[in-house]
Amino acid sequence: MKIAYHAFAIGLLLCFCGTAQSIDLVINPDVSQETISRNALRSIFSMRMTRWPDGKPIHVFVMGDKTNLHSDFSKQLLGVFPHQLRRAWNRQIYSGMGQAPTKVESEEEMRNQVAETPGAIGYLSEGNINEHIRTISVE
Amino acid sequence: MSIFGPFQSNSSRVICLLALFCLPGKGLLASELSDFSGVFQIHGFLTQGYVKTTENSFFGESKDGSFDFNEIGINASYRLSPAMMASAQILSRTAGEMYDGSLDLDFAQFDYAYQLNETNRIGFIIGRSKNPLGLYNDTRDVAATRPGIFMPQAIYWDRVRNMVLSNDGGQLYTEGQYANHHFSLQLFAGKTPIDENVEKSYLGPSFNPRMEQDGVTTGGRLLYEWDGGRVRLALSNASLTLDSQTSLFPPGSIDIDYWVLSAQYNDGPWSLTMEYMEEPIDYAGFGGFMDVADTTVDGYYLQGSYRLQADWEMFARFEESHYDKNDTNGKKSSAKLGFPPHTFFSKLWTLGLLWEPTEQLMLRTEFSQVEGSIFLSNLENPLPNIKERDWNLFSLLVSYSF
Repeated sequence: MKIAYHAFAIGLLLCFCGTAQSIDLVINPDVSQETISRNALRSIFSMRMTRWPDGKPIHVFVMGDKTNLHSDFSKQLLGVFPHQLRRAWNRQIYSGMGQAPTKVESEEEMRNQVAETPGAIGYLSEGNINEHIRTISVE
Repeated sequence: MSIFGPFQSNSSRVICLLALFCLPGKGLLASELSDFSGVFQIHGFLTQGYVKTTENSFFGESKDGSFDFNEIGINASYRLSPAMMASAQILSRTAGEMYDGSLDLDFAQFDYAYQLNETNRIGFIIGRSKNPLGLYNDTRDVAATRPGIFMPQAIYWDRVRNMVLSNDGGQLYTEGQYANHHFSLQLFAGKTPIDENVEKSYLGPSFNPRMEQDGVTTGGRLLYEWDGGRVRLALSNASLTLDSQTSLFPPGSIDIDYWVLSAQYNDGPWSLTMEYMEEPIDYAGFGGFMDVADTTVDGYYLQGSYRLQADWEMFARFEESHYDKNDTNGKKSSAKLGFPPHTFFSKLWTLGLLWEPTEQLMLRTEFSQVEGSIFLSNLENPLPNIKERDWNLFSLLVSYSF
């Protein structure tokens, strides 16, 4: 019986890993940072942190709330649901304390925008980067 | 590239907005602006509600079904640099007899934040800014950020909304991240825009009260967040004094102290929220006639929400308010002040359903069973003696935000 439970648990885990995609956090090459802490990442994507440690402005790009990539990014890298992230943005936007991130419609647009915008940060599904952007790892 | 706002630009055509603000410290600007072209955004929202009650009036002539509930807001923000932002919002709010939809300047502020290191900063705001009180006060008129169609009245009274809404003055704030712990402290001081709702809640409408603020409102909020907001705890306060004239008594003043304790736990699709409010009110002067009304109002709510799917959420909420925290059934207050006991407390059970078919659009429907009538406005229900004790409330809301 115990073995059956374990098998079931492992099966679930495999299922989960199979459906969730691997995500690359990507930045414009002019950002000098090599790694980023999870807390700083949360601050950036909740639009509270507005500049890189070297003083350059941060420009945040996101996909639509209902895309699988954004949903997986929110849950896996930030540990929040997309609707929670949106409420955090709304609390800032409508109280005058912050601005919204820039929304892109596709991964191709994400790649181009991050490549072209100094200080940009965004995300792509694994293996979608090119030579004009680079990945940054989360500590 | 599609954008969140209908208009976002990195250009310099925002000079017109900047002209609205007096920018302090020109020397400060030059260095900050050197390699930043600025980001301009416009956002807004349109909300329409429908309210039906079995008794009493809430947000309009609700016994007949009321559409006298709508909110329209538009804001512009210009980030001059990572440290500086100017923003302003215009709001029109209709809420039955309480608010008539006339245009208000909701906020107009200049914000400067100095980044101490990667995650710690300190800053100030000048202008008209929203008071950070509890978890929701600063965006209480924005349906997309509210925990339901109506704010929980036990904490966020609509009948005295302006008393704590905003201030004409300034704020000092600081926030910091230490490992998994995030702290933020905001302190504010400024003049509060007092309106008829406030006047006729703290003194009976039949006294023709007129109020002016003595000094400024001071207050603040200390917020602690753990693990990116999984746990949120806050303590908030606002204090003010209202100098009052009436047609009946000698002049007097009313000291109001407003405390809110907030706790929220978010775990995946679950969210649990509890807020408790205590409000000591002290009447002085008035020839001693109002001393009998001195009290400590209190209230709390408990809300549990569950995200059913990406687009759907349901919640249940219980809330309770008392005119006198030591008199939960209103009997003592009734004996002292003459109105029926049920006008001194309220208890509400609410069930709600939320559907967000798109990022911009939300629809809500809610049903509440109510006992008591303390949170009903005197402007909407002019005769306390005919407020009904037991009533039900059904509401619908659609909101579009961009």
